[in-house]
Order: sequence, then structure tokens, then C-alpha cells
Amino acid sequence: MRRIESLIDTNAADYKANYAAMSERLKEFHARQHAARFERPQRDIDRLARQNKLGVRERLKLLLDPGTPFLEFSTLAACREYDGTVPGAAVVTGIGIVQGREVAIHANDASVKGGAWYPHTVKKVVRLLDVALENRLPVVHICDSAGGFLPLQHGVFPDRYLGGRVFRNQVKLSQANIPQIAVVGGHCTAGGAYVPTLSDYNIIIEGTGAIFLGGPPLVKAATGEEVGVQELGGAVMHTSVSGTGDYRAATEQHAFSLAREIVSQWKRTPKTIIETAAFEEPYYDPKELYGIIPKDRKTQFDMREVLARIVDGSRFHEYQPDYGTTMVCGFAHIWGYKVGILANNGVLFNDSSLKAAHFMQLCNQNRTPLVFFQNITGYMVGREYEERGIAKDGAKMLMAQGGSVVPKFTVIANASYGAGNYGMCGRAWDARTLFMWPQAEIGVMGADQAANTMADVKIRQLQREGKELTEEEIAAIREPVLEKYKRDVEAYTSTSELWDDGILDPADTRNALGMSISASLNAPIEEPHYGIFRL
Amino acid sequence: MQRIFQIDGEETECWLGHDGSRFVLNTPDGSVACELNPTALPGGYTLRAKGVVRELRLAVGPDATFVHMNGRTHEIRRIDPDERLAGRDKGASDDRLVAPMPGVVVSVAVKPGDTVAEGQPLLVIESMKLETTLTAPRDGVVAEMPFAEGDSFRLKDILAQLAPEEE
Amino acid sequence: MTISKLLVANRGEIAARVLRTAKARGLATAVLRHESEQEGPAHLIADEIVTIEGPTPVAAYLDIPQIVEAAKKIGADAVHPGYGFLSENAAFVAALEKAGVTFVGPTSEVIALMGDKVRARGFVEERGFPVAPSAIEDDDPASFVERARTVGYPLLIKPSAGGGGKGMRIVREDSTLETEIETARREGIRYFGDGRLFVERYIERPRHIEVQVMGDGQGNVVHFWERECSIQRRFQKIIEETPSPALTPEQRDEICETAAGIARAVKYRGAGTVEFIYAQDGAFYFLEMNTRLQVEHPVTELVTGFDLVAEQLRIAAGEGLSATQANIPQTGHSIELRICAEDATADFRPSIGDILLLDEPSGPGVRVDSGILDGGKVTTDFDPMLSKLIVHGRDRVEAIARARQAVQNYVVLGVTTNTGYLDAILAHPDFAAGNVSTGFLAEQSETLTAPGEDISELLMAAAALSDERLVGDVMQIPEMYRKMGGWRN
Repeated sequence: MRRIESLIDTNAADYKANYAAMSERLKEFHARQHAARFERPQRDIDRLARQNKLGVRERLKLLLDPGTPFLEFSTLAACREYDGTVPGAAVVTGIGIVQGREVAIHANDASVKGGAWYPHTVKKVVRLLDVALENRLPVVHICDSAGGFLPLQHGVFPDRYLGGRVFRNQVKLSQANIPQIAVVGGHCTAGGAYVPTLSDYNIIIEGTGAIFLGGPPLVKAATGEEVGVQELGGAVMHTSVSGTGDYRAATEQHAFSLAREIVSQWKRTPKTIIETAAFEEPYYDPKELYGIIPKDRKTQFDMREVLARIVDGSRFHEYQPDYGTTMVCGFAHIWGYKVGILANNGVLFNDSSLKAAHFMQLCNQNRTPLVFFQNITGYMVGREYEERGIAKDGAKMLMAQGGSVVPKFTVIANASYGAGNYGMCGRAWDARTLFMWPQAEIGVMGADQAANTMADVKIRQLQREGKELTEEEIAAIREPVLEKYKRDVEAYTSTSELWDDGILDPADTRNALGMSISASLNAPIEEPHYGIFRL
Repeated sequence: MQRIFQIDGEETECWLGHDGSRFVLNTPDGSVACELNPTALPGGYTLRAKGVVRELRLAVGPDATFVHMNGRTHEIRRIDPDERLAGRDKGASDDRLVAPMPGVVVSVAVKPGDTVAEGQPLLVIESMKLETTLTAPRDGVVAEMPFAEGDSFRLKDILAQLAPEEE
Repeated sequence: MTISKLLVANRGEIAARVLRTAKARGLATAVLRHESEQEGPAHLIADEIVTIEGPTPVAAYLDIPQIVEAAKKIGADAVHPGYGFLSENAAFVAALEKAGVTFVGPTSEVIALMGDKVRARGFVEERGFPVAPSAIEDDDPASFVERARTVGYPLLIKPSAGGGGKGMRIVREDSTLETEIETARREGIRYFGDGRLFVERYIERPRHIEVQVMGDGQGNVVHFWERECSIQRRFQKIIEETPSPALTPEQRDEICETAAGIARAVKYRGAGTVEFIYAQDGAFYFLEMNTRLQVEHPVTELVTGFDLVAEQLRIAAGEGLSATQANIPQTGHSIELRICAEDATADFRPSIGDILLLDEPSGPGVRVDSGILDGGKVTTDFDPMLSKLIVHGRDRVEAIARARQAVQNYVVLGVTTNTGYLDAILAHPDFAAGNVSTGFLAEQSETLTAPGEDISELLMAAAALSDERLVGDVMQIPEMYRKMGGWRN
């Protein structure tokens, strides 16, 4: 494959301005991530120490192979909810390496509200278990939770994708012969009791771990029986009397050592084989992405320059380079894995949609995973394009994309507006992982456009009522709408709501994709098959 | 991936990594890229680490590695931290002996206040036509022996209780 | 009295060493092996191996009836005892004499005489040879304490039946004399079942110098010069050399002639060693006579060119001495290092283990008398000495240099040995200057066991990279993850 010839001038003023703007954004982003991961009120840190428990990050360190990466999902989940008091939604999820194999990890963060389940906690855990199911990843649950957050129980408990879905997914994992292990390092009360009990293996840490359907206060209230935590659901009782627990561990270190030993004994099923090549670092420095991504979102940029800083050796075999040029399609390797890349270089026209559909079919035929780099404002509108059947061609692209059997991965690199989000494998389209860059936006349309549309509706309504509006009055209507919309389309809103799997520093994109692709190959790839293409 | 190495009685916790082209030994003091290649001699190797190249002779025993380097022989004891942790399971034992099934006490070997060693017989019970000797789960002091010879007991009755361990 | 078949009633390096000479002389050879004993070099040399039994291996090697029976059974007409075990046991010699088997060594009477320190000392003193001022309890138990006082301080209390440094006590002040005597007596009873004592003048910073002698049993005795054995730990020699750097030629002649004179006085037969205490002022006193081949005999062989075992066998076969005093040279310098399985940094605690790798040095002027084989096991059943490294050089400087190079290249892996410690002794300036005494190792223990340059990271790297399980665990991590390392998004 040929190397992309970069035309970027790293001494140019706009490059430097972009670089400075992105660096500023990233400073904030990394600070927020650091706070969400590590900064806790002293009383919460003290409480854990008093309970003789390790923090969730220390537990992960004991679990994971040293010197291996951890792809953490949705660190900033719930960052715009609950007044920001539930960092990470009180749970850590991600893909890590245990005894050389990829596992999905679900770990309660007891330093946040005692690890209580908030609505966003449940959403994050369900998403993690979906990732495990889709990619056939074994799961390690690290349980330490105060239980459902009762004041918000309606957002935790009843609906299809809420609390019950956690356990339903555990059952489905087991049914699919995907192993799970739970390390009980705190209380697993009520529903939480089913996390370890639905796992193939569980380990209870003596003194701190406990499993019961109702804790001592609830038992006292319900039946008047007075019973201590250890007698009711402690490690000794469960491992020697009830059989609810499999192993009891003397210490946290012992528990994770046992967990690692158990994981190492699970059958290793061969991964799906796809085309690979020897690794090659990108020829161009990934940090140059900071200067390539324009500080003004509306400024166009060449996605090939982005790809050159992510793919192996900056090498890219472009498909149909001269046709449908707003859609860049081609083959490249990421961490040695051959992938088909679709990247936006402008709005989607009929030809670019058809090109994308055709290219995705090629990739499916060859079992080549798909990676989408979104910078899309939508499909082209207007009489000419409707007459050419832009909706019909867009449908072909959706049919090819949605019907793809190969694993798909999405990076929202800049704009993700309207149906373009769908065509380019947005959240609803089962990307195995979907990450956003910090300056990216997601919404049915751009902020100005949306604000104008919404303001126009209101203005026309007022005009119909016979009111004449001054410029100032129009602005007064428009500005608040614009402000709110701007906030709603921000990456932080998306990630808070778990519309993505996390915000990425662009320079981390290559590793995040490498891990995602590698994890996806734990699941087989079916024979290609599609629905009906509207020709 | 982790090992505790002990040289002249001093322990160091390490883990070994490999960055795709070379091994890296990570110690509390830092990381050391290293390489070990065999030479023609029995047990002969060339070690490259910390900017030096050393010829050495090496033999791996079950618990220790012996290295002859620069005219001196060194013993490096290897401890798998997981195995060391596994040895701590014993700390998890209970203070109580609970009747595994209903039965009758045949004989009682100790009385409250006695010091007992782990594995020492405490009493003999008969259940389901089988005599079973129940032994101390750990070293300790007997706190209670609630049943006397000839007494019958029910499932889960406490047959012996040790005084709690002092931390 | 020709000898055609020789049984070596010993094991380890000395058995191998004796067997080599015996074979070279055309004898049929046999050696003992306890049923639980590892195969050693001797078993590879001997024509025949006789299995012996006993509750412990050492007990079997001390079992006189069994060994005499073994010699008769295989038709051996001579037994070489090596050193240790039954080599100085008069009853063993008597039993062999009775069975008509030649003992390669002196008569039982001479062994009995020299084996009793008190009698031996009296014998030597009576004949005008120098002995340190002393008092023997048995002479008159009632006046023992009084006589002890007249010896003068510092003095040394020794059990009459003792050896190996056990039960010896140094007394520097008159006030502690009586309590120390009682303590020594209790120790004597405990170690040797015999509470009799004697005292002698304690020589400060003494050197241990001994002389190799050889007699034909008819009164003809020659000496093979001296050996200096002052480098001792726990009263046991670990480095021996010849010539002694302490002696002037006149002193050398005097001490060697004294030794030969003592041997002549008992009409000594075979190889023997007369040991002296050599004081810093040049005075020397008879210490004891060992009626056998010594561990350190090879240094004598390397400077004289004689094969002492061959001489022993000649004498045992009635062929007499092959040499006259005039044609026994003392050429160059030789040093022996005893390679022991022990931890010099932990009070010389014996170590055990499997010999995982053995590569012994060789080269000009280097001799190894080894008792171990690659793959063998070192147990606590026997003495911790594994082998001897002996070097020869034109002079002492060359000998030390060769010894250092050889001991540094002595590779025994799997069991802790003293090779590094021996090298540290050789490297010590006082050793190089020949300025040592029997207390040298104790005085210099901190210097000699001081840790060298910190190379722990190199050692850990070697240990990690050769740990197949560890490397296997690391390499099972897919390459991509190894390259990513501890990346976090």
C-alpha cells in the first residue's frame, strides 16, 4: 500500500492555531477525565479505608496484566447529570487484558455514592454487557454496590434496558457460553446479588464481601430477625453453607490472584481470522491531528490527512479515488488488522452514497472490518438531488451499512448531523465501539441551522399573530435556543448520556481502534446477507 | 507476569513486560530493557541490560536461579506472588466447628482454656454409623465445648468454639 | 606382599583421586557406595562398586566388619582408607591385619599412639622435639589446675579425646580458669564422652604449618616439605599452600627435619603429616601427627612432582621409598582451595541442592580433584567439601593469579558454594603479603563477605528472562498489547 503524501505544513499559521485550540480543549478534557477517575471527597476515601477496601482503580491494577492497556469506556458518563456528583456514573467499564486475554470489565466504584446504581450506571453496565455479548468477551464483574439509588428508582428499575437488562444480559452471556466471574469486594444487595450468582464463578472477599437479597436492616424491618452481615451473607457462610459463593479470599490481593488464575483456565477459543500485516507505526505523528482538525467546526479538512496519522505506516489504498469524492473509501491497516475505511470529505451526494454502499459490500465479501470516520453534515438536499433519488441512494447506503456482517467501528471526528450519522454508522447502527473527539458535535443538524429553524417557527407563529419583531426581539428568541442547542450537541452531552463509548484524545484513536478490532475478533463473522436494496 | 526476586535476603517485586521487540523488567526503581541470548557453552548466555553486556552461566532450579557472572556465583530466589498469596488461605478459617449432620458425641479431648494446635483432635462424634474426629481449624485456645460425651446434637449445632484470634 | 586388587574404603574426591593412581599402576580397583548415595566420579573410575548398608551413609562408611567383609568378598588384597572415616582407626587396621588384608598406611600401633593426643605429645616431648608448654590432667588430676597455671596465659584448654576444634577454650585471665575448665569438661563429655582435659600455651596469631613425611616402616623417612594451612574457618582449613611464605630456608629445613625425626622415632610407615603451631617469633611446636594422606596433599605433589598415592601403594606393597631426600625438589608454588557447599555469608552454614550445572576450570597449572558430577545432588549426609582446586605457578604471585582465575571460572550452579569467598581471600592484601594467621578469616570476616557492586538488576533480569513460565505468561499477551504497554485512554 502506498503512503499518503501529507500536504500539511506544520509551520502554517492555521495549523498552529488549530493545534493551540485543540491542546486547550484536550487540557480540559484530560483534567475532567482525571477528576472523574481519581478526585473524590476525602470522606469517601476515608470511608473506603475504614472499610478496609481498595479503590476500584487499585482493584483493576491487581486484576489486569501489568504493562498492558485498558480501554476504558465512558469515563465521563453522567458528567452532565446529578449536578456532576456521580463521576463515571459510579462504575468503571472497559476492555482489559487478564492472563493475555481480552475481558470486559464491570467494576463498581464504591468511592462514588457507595457504588449505588443510578440510571446512567445501569445504562453504562448494560452497554458493557452488550459489548461483551457482541464481541463474545468474557466478563469480570467487580461488585461493590450500595444497590439501586432509590430516589431515582424509576430510572433504574422498570424499563427494558434498565436494571433487569443487566441480569438478562448475564443470562444471555452464559447461554452463549461466554464465561463470567464476579469478585465480591463489597455488598451485593437485592438485584445486585444476582451479579455474582449469575456468574459462572464468584469469589467473596472475607470481611468486606457479602451477598444477600435483603440486608440486615431490611430483614429486621420485614421479619424482625436480627442478624449480622457476615452471618446473613458473608464469605464464610456463602462458601461453606449456602454454596452461593465459590471461593473466599483472605484479602483483595488474594481475590484478584484467584480471579486471574480462574480466567487463565478458561478455554481459549481461536479468534476470527482476518487479513493482517506486520505492525507499522504511522509515518506521520498522530499528534499532528491537533493541528489538522480545524478550530472552527465549519472549516472543511481532508480526511486523508487524518487517516495518515492513524493507520499503519500512513498507508492507504484508496478505492474509486476520482468518483464520489466527498466519500473517501479505501483499505488500510490498523495495528496490523486490515480494515475498510469510510471517511467523509463533504456532504453525501448520490455518487458518494453509491460508492459507500458498494465499498461496504466489498468489505463484507472479504470479511474486512469497517471503520467510519464521521465528519458529516448530511445527505445533499434540493430538487436536483431528490430527482436523482438521493433518498433512494441513501437507503442503499443504509441497507449496506446496517446489513453488514463484519464488525464496525465509528469515530465521530467532527460533525455528525442528521441522516449522515445513520449512514456513517451512528450509535443506533451497532458499531462495536463508537468514540467521539472532544470538539465533535452530534445532532439532527448544526447548531446555527437548528437554532434558526426553531427560532423561525416561533417567529412565524408570532408574525401570524400579527406581531412585528425587531432585530433585537428576534435575537432574544434565537439566542437562548442557540445556546441550549449548542450545549446539547456537544461531545460532553453525548458522552454524559452514553450515546458514545467515550471521548477520545485524537492521538489515542489508533490504540482505541486496535483494541476494539482485536476484541471484536472474539466473535465469528457471519456469511454476508442483506435486505432489499432499492435500485 | 510478576515475580518477587530475593537476592541475599532482600526481596524485590518485579514484573516482566515485552514491548514487541525486547523484554523490559520493571522494578520499583524503574524499567530495565534486557535481552538474554544463549552462547555455545552449557548454560551459557549473553545478557544485555543497563547498557552493559555480560557473559554468564545460568541454571534454573525449582525455586532459585543460579547465575555465574564476573567470577561470582549468585543465587536469585524466585517467588510467585500468587503462590505466596495462596498460602494465606489458612487465615480464612473459622473459629467454630459446626455439626455437619446430627449425631452423638463419642468423646471429648479438650476443655475450655486448652491451647490447641491446628489439626489437633478436639472431639469424636458419631453420625450415620460413622465416627468422625473433628480437629482444630487453626492454632488457638478453646473457648467452649458445649457438648459432653454421650450428648446428642443437631445439624449445625456448634460443637467447639475457639477464642477469637487477636490481631 | 604384592598388591593386585585395591579397595578404596572412602568416597568423594579422595576415592576418585586414589583410584586414578591405582588404575595407572595396573591394579584392579573397587570402591564403596552407600545404597542412598549419589553417583560420584569415583564410581565411574572403579572397576567394581561394593554397595554398603547402614542407617546413615556415614555409619556405613564407619562399619568396620562390613567393610572388612566387603574387602574379603571381592578378593581385595589391600584397602586404601583415604582420609577421614576409618583412615586413623586402629581397630580397623587391626581387623584388616587379622583378615590378611593390607592396610595402605601405618601400623595400628602407630595409629593408636598418634591418635591419642596426650600420648603422642608425651612421646614427642620425651624425644626432645619442641612442644608448647602444657599440662595434662591425667598425669595427676589433683594438681591439674595448679599445673595449668604454670603454663602461663593465654592458655588453651583442650579435651584429650577431642579434635576439630570442639570443646577448646581460650583462657586469658587466671580468674576464669577454673570455670572454663569445668565448661570444657562438660563439652568434652558431651562431644566425645570423655571429660579428660589438657592445657597448653595459647600462641597468639599462630600459623599452621605442617610437613609431609613418608616412611618405609623400617626407620627410613623422607619429608616432602611443608604446607602452610593457616587459612581456616571454624578450625578447618580451606586454603593450603606450599612453600609457606613465613619460613626462611633455615627454618624450613629445621621444621621439616623435626617432622622427619618424629616419624623416624616411630618407624613410620606410609604417608603422614606432622602438624606444628608456628608462632610469630619463629618458634614452632608439635601439634599432632596425622597418620594418613591429607586433604591438601596435592599441593605437595605439584611442587615435588611426586604422586604421593603411588608412594603409599609402593610402600604398602613392600617396594619401599622411591625417593631419597636429596631428590625431592620444591619447585614453584602451589595453592589448594577447598570448594565447599556452604554459605560464607551465613556462618558457613552447609548448603544442599542439586548440581544443575558444573563446569570445572582447567588449563596450565590447574588441577581439580573433584568429588561431584553434573546433575548430582549435594546432601547433608557428608562433609560439605565438594572438590579441591589446586594450582601451580612458578612463584607465589603466579600461583595466586592462577588460583583466582581458576576459582572465578569454577562454575557450580544449584548449590551455594564458597568460590566467591575463596576468591575474596586470595584478593586480600594481607593474603598476598603472606601476613596471615589461623585467626585471619575470623578477623577479616566482614571484609571478606562484604557485598560487591550492586548488580541485582542484572541478576534479576537474567532470572526473569530465564524463567520460562514467566516469559511464557508475558509472551501469551498478544503482541499488539505488549507494544501498547500500559496505555490508557
